[in-house]
Amino acid sequence: MQRILLAILVYLMMSQSIIINCYSVEPDEFLQNPKKELRARNISKNIRCLVCQNQSIDESSAPLAKDLRILIRIKIEQGNSDEEIYDFLTKRYGDFILLNPPLKISTLFLWILPFVFLAIGIFVIFLHNNKSKKLDYNK
Amino acid sequence: MKKGILISPIILFFIILLVFFYLLIIDRNPSELPSMLINKKVPAFEAKLLLENKTFVSPGEFENETTLVNFFATWCKPCRDEHHYLRKLSDEKGLKIIGINYKDDSKRTIKWLEKLGNPFSSVLLDPNARLGIDWGVYGLPETFIVNSNGMIKYRLVGPITKRNYDAFVLKVKEVKK
Repeated sequence: MQRILLAILVYLMMSQSIIINCYSVEPDEFLQNPKKELRARNISKNIRCLVCQNQSIDESSAPLAKDLRILIRIKIEQGNSDEEIYDFLTKRYGDFILLNPPLKISTLFLWILPFVFLAIGIFVIFLHNNKSKKLDYNK
Repeated sequence: MKKGILISPIILFFIILLVFFYLLIIDRNPSELPSMLINKKVPAFEAKLLLENKTFVSPGEFENETTLVNFFATWCKPCRDEHHYLRKLSDEKGLKIIGINYKDDSKRTIKWLEKLGNPFSSVLLDPNARLGIDWGVYGLPETFIVNSNGMIKYRLVGPITKRNYDAFVLKVKEVKK
């Protein structure tokens, strides 16, 4: 019974996370060319809204997010590459505007630490396993 | 040896607690972002003026004098609170204040300035936030201190208030030197 309840709970949480994934791009912002529009959407998903700070500009309805979405589309229409657009934005707002922090010396810890913890975790489990195996043989 | 292993998580826990507590009590605003433009030249741009039929050309206009660049709008309540302090600053010698009217209605701004007084030597129009983005603005008001070589030296996010006015004047004087 408990297991079924847990499964339902997990399912609800997951489905909700799908529902939450809504977008704020307004129809008048769309580019005519679907390929270019897709590029704009993909860039927007990687750009942090600096007003809400925990949403991408693709999801945020803040005015600044809309201004940045429009600017990205103008830049695409002008023939800028994705890198040029990211570069333009980080020069003005810093790496903080990227939702994916770039791998740099200052962010090395951020990238490596999860693997260090994973290694520690595996090591602890391994140690623990060995111990309980020994106990079994002693019985 | 075994005792050490047992105690270490507790010690680690207290160290983490201490770090968090420290970050909690120091005066810091985590949502405030450092400007990328500090010690850089002002962005190059052209803008229309609100009160004159002229074009403002950057960076040419930033040379010779220490300049404050203030992003404001009539729809922004803290800007109204700040206005009194900008007027006070406009009495300061050898300091020019440029206002950038961010996404606003020009008629309303003219009325606003007539009513509250005009501390700005020129008011630039930024109807589509393009100037704001060039300066890395993310919330109004924001004030930049630019030295006489056209170099951005300081940014204040949020209004100049009674609380930070003296510190801000000190910063201006530092840049003027």
